[in-house]
Amino acid sequence: MRKPLTILIALATTMFAGATLADPARDAILAKFAAEAKAADPGFTGFSAARGGAFFRASQTGGSAETPSCTSCHGAAPQDAGKTRANKAIAPMAVSKTPDRFTDSDKVAQWFDRNCKGVAGRVCTPLEKGDFITFMAGQ
Amino acid sequence: MRSLHVAYCAVCELHTMTKSDPRYHRVLVWDFPTRVFHWLLVAATSVAFITGSILPQWWLGVHRGAGYVIVGLLVFRFVWAAFGSEFSRLTNFVYSPSETLDHLRGILLLSPRHYLGHNPAGAAMIFALAFVLCGLVVTGLLTEAGEEKIGPLAGITSYAVGHTAKTIHAILVGILAVMIAAHVAGVIAESLLTRENLVASMITGRKALPERAHLPAPRPPRWRAASASCVVVIGVGALTLALLGRLPPKGVPAAAVNAAYARECGACHSAFHPSLLPAASWQKMLGTLDQHFGEDASLPAPVLAEIAEFLATHAAEAWDTEIGIRFRTVTANGPPQITATPAWLRKHAPLPEAWFARKSVGSKSNCSACHRDAASGRFDDSKIFVPKE
Repeated sequence: MRKPLTILIALATTMFAGATLADPARDAILAKFAAEAKAADPGFTGFSAARGGAFFRASQTGGSAETPSCTSCHGAAPQDAGKTRANKAIAPMAVSKTPDRFTDSDKVAQWFDRNCKGVAGRVCTPLEKGDFITFMAGQ
Repeated sequence: MRSLHVAYCAVCELHTMTKSDPRYHRVLVWDFPTRVFHWLLVAATSVAFITGSILPQWWLGVHRGAGYVIVGLLVFRFVWAAFGSEFSRLTNFVYSPSETLDHLRGILLLSPRHYLGHNPAGAAMIFALAFVLCGLVVTGLLTEAGEEKIGPLAGITSYAVGHTAKTIHAILVGILAVMIAAHVAGVIAESLLTRENLVASMITGRKALPERAHLPAPRPPRWRAASASCVVVIGVGALTLALLGRLPPKGVPAAAVNAAYARECGACHSAFHPSLLPAASWQKMLGTLDQHFGEDASLPAPVLAEIAEFLATHAAEAWDTEIGIRFRTVTANGPPQITATPAWLRKHAPLPEAWFARKSVGSKSNCSACHRDAASGRFDDSKIFVPKE
């Protein structure tokens, strides 16, 4: 019975903050990453959209030379469609443009697994994933 | 055979007369339908030749259209050979071998006997042309049916038959080209020898006849019989072909789609038609998805299993199509890659690299940028449209 109230509060928060779009499924995914981040670092206090944005734009080493950054395929602006190396369009990462982004935990896991290896040559930390989603949810 | 030329040639003064000679009068030899037929056939054959032999293969649609026009023209001409006016009728130009030899001897001696309608050499050419043109339209239909799996015979024609038909089609084109050259040469030679402009008479329909020559009453065209025959032949033919065309294309599996394949593989690139690689190549590729052309494309086990089964059952070997037949051959130990197959390389080698770099193409793996029917696996030549940028 508390769920509608939560959504209402979340919606109100969103409207006031003008930033983050809430979705129960996405919140659950974020909560899981938060728990993992907390387990990895007891000093974890929360995800940061600013850190997520910086991570999205950062140039990484260790991955494929053709894809040094998330923006290599997704484009510099999260609101715009990206393009794969095979020239296939990628729906915008910004949740305001693609509302079902980060709402399917299997899909989230699959793509972080693949793309972190391709870009950074390693798996991403729960903190990086949470920051990334938090950033995109506000875009 | 009618004896018009006998009556006419008995005069045998033609060679010594000039066109301005008042003893000439001009009679209608080629009726209007025959003249229209002749020049439409010239046009349709030219279009078919240019689109089939000179222009790039995406003109195949126009080539097909020209072929169907030729079918219609041939039907008309066969009917008109039975019911047309005198000189269009088959019975007007069937000559005995000895008569044909006589005529050829006359040509060699530069004084051929003059015939008002088709002369024996011309008649032989007409029969040969009709025979070769029939062969061309039949092998053309079989080629599109067997190789492209389209057209009325697609349901009953295997790729092998279509491929053989294509070879015969190409040979017949060569024969036809030689025959057309001989036909034109014959017209020029005959025009010079008889001082009768045969090209002009195929436009006006009229030929010179000396005043004193006796022209027996020629048989008039039987319009109603001709129209009815055309309607019946074309109607029955079209109906038969339309019914045959309703059959599913031979050797083309129905419903070659899989949601997981389209979703997962189609996320990064075109969901390539499964007939573009043999089963072994697909299997090899699925075994190395963590290093998939520079990307990690790993899949969860259940999804991988579903896609593997789909590709195994719909790989090139399962298709009796041009693509399935050609793309099932791969280089031994070559990469499991569509753009590395001998068939792909052979077809795309002549194309400039810049085409693949165009904004709307961007990649050699973007099949549908040019092949509008890539998703169906048909890769019909007439569905190729190379984007300008």
